Amino acid sequence: MLTFSRNKLVSIYRRDEGILLVRGILEDDIYGMEVVVSITLPDLEIVSIQGKWTRMENSECPRAVPFLQEAVGFHLLEEGFRQRVQKTVGRKSCRHFANILMECCDAAVDAASVIRVEAERGGKNNLPLKDSLGAENENAKDPIQAGEDLEPEMAKPVEADSVEGLVIDLHVHTSEASPCSSAPLGDLVTEAKRIGLDGICLTDHNHVWDPKTLAELRQRHDFLILRGNEIATDQGDMLVFGFDEDIKEVMRLDELRRKVLKTGGFIIAAHPFRGFLTFGIGQLGLTPEKAMERPLFQHVDAVEVLNSKVSDKENHFSSQAAAGLGLPGTGGSDAHEVEEVGVYATRFSDTITNEEELVEALKGGSYSPITFRKGRGEKE
Amino acid sequence: MADILCFSRNNATTVEQPDEETMVSSCRLQDTLTDLLVVIRVRTPHLEITDIQGEIRRSLEPETPHIHETLRKVIGVRVGPGIKKIVTGLMGKSAIEKKLVFMIGECCNGIILSFTKQVLLGAPEDKAKEREFFATMVKNSPRLYNSCAALSPESPLMDGIEPP
Repeated sequence: MLTFSRNKLVSIYRRDEGILLVRGILEDDIYGMEVVVSITLPDLEIVSIQGKWTRMENSECPRAVPFLQEAVGFHLLEEGFRQRVQKTVGRKSCRHFANILMECCDAAVDAASVIRVEAERGGKNNLPLKDSLGAENENAKDPIQAGEDLEPEMAKPVEADSVEGLVIDLHVHTSEASPCSSAPLGDLVTEAKRIGLDGICLTDHNHVWDPKTLAELRQRHDFLILRGNEIATDQGDMLVFGFDEDIKEVMRLDELRRKVLKTGGFIIAAHPFRGFLTFGIGQLGLTPEKAMERPLFQHVDAVEVLNSKVSDKENHFSSQAAAGLGLPGTGGSDAHEVEEVGVYATRFSDTITNEEELVEALKGGSYSPITFRKGRGEKE
Repeated sequence: MADILCFSRNNATTVEQPDEETMVSSCRLQDTLTDLLVVIRVRTPHLEITDIQGEIRRSLEPETPHIHETLRKVIGVRVGPGIKKIVTGLMGKSAIEKKLVFMIGECCNGIILSFTKQVLLGAPEDKAKEREFFATMVKNSPRLYNSCAALSPESPLMDGIEPP
């Protein structure tokens, strides 16, 4: 017996020479919705969107419909189109509307190719359709956007003041290097200093900060700013320290482990149970004992047991698994907004003034995850 | 001029649970140019992908001889948040592979939604209790807060709820 089904139907016709009219219907066990999208030819710009619900999850779902207009003006072939749809329609409207909209747009791109090739075949070009489309697809844009590297700045390296019992937020994302973050580095540092953190660690997604840039920033802000990297692997995201290789692809965790061991670095499993004890999945009967069998734990040095993007239950579960495995636990905010920095952090008993000392401290094990911002009543 | 379709697409995803430890999700995409099928097998409770099969029944795009080996790269990956990024990174970037990546995402999404459906079956009919129900849901899954218009800070459903 089926436990779930989703059907999507997309129909496209030419309203006139310059407009494709795309109608998409999504019907599944939970949702029913329809969108009608007008897209220009040949430049494939969305010029109008209408949407409506036929069945929905709750009484406030209709609030999603007006936000569909945010995708008007988007060009289907521009770089980052998919991310823009996810970030606007997916988050402000509804991810299921984003899903059917993307299905419509993908189909429209294919439809435009067919129209173009058929027009050429009707004229001077009589290439087989397969050959013509094959050549077009070679030029298809890569949907994945890598983070932009910052220009390195020459500066004299400095060290932050040595402090015992340092509290460092080990998991922070900046808008400069993580497309998903809205937090400029300067604002993050100002906020971190305001709430009394001793340091932050920049762990942008698959991004290696230039050490000279960081040194200059540390000097400018008179604050401990350290480098890490949140690297995507087949086993989930990993916080990696003491490892400078700039990896832009998702890699296998065992391969990352081999590389990091060579440099003497340190790997922390980031939010290892994110989304796993909530929203019905928790009914699966996942126990800490079963969770400890996951292969990823053979390849990490520590486990992030406090992360502000997961539920308390999931953090607690991570703690139980880490304890059972004998792995140390760390805390980090996973901040993507300025006001999120320092929600959780890690308290070190060692003195840390630079990245080498951070890695040594992590290996030494004299640290503990802490609730920082909430504990100080700072959270607004 | 009659409004004859120049392109049509059907995309169907189904999820079934043949036994307590196995879920099978399939996605079939058929359109004017393409006919593709992807089937993934997932083991509970970890929800890791234990098997994947793909079939290119019709495509005008250049053949990808190693497509089955490429698909097998996702074996061991866990269905959950972030999986689309992982699968995109593990698979190739040819046009057909991009379509297959999208379909794997649809399979995974179907599995997640099958759990969501079970939760929503318990949603109260009483509108007054609706807010409490969704507040609890957001508390249990903080990432849902402000994840859509209905769960945005401006929504009555989120009245009085502290940002996670």
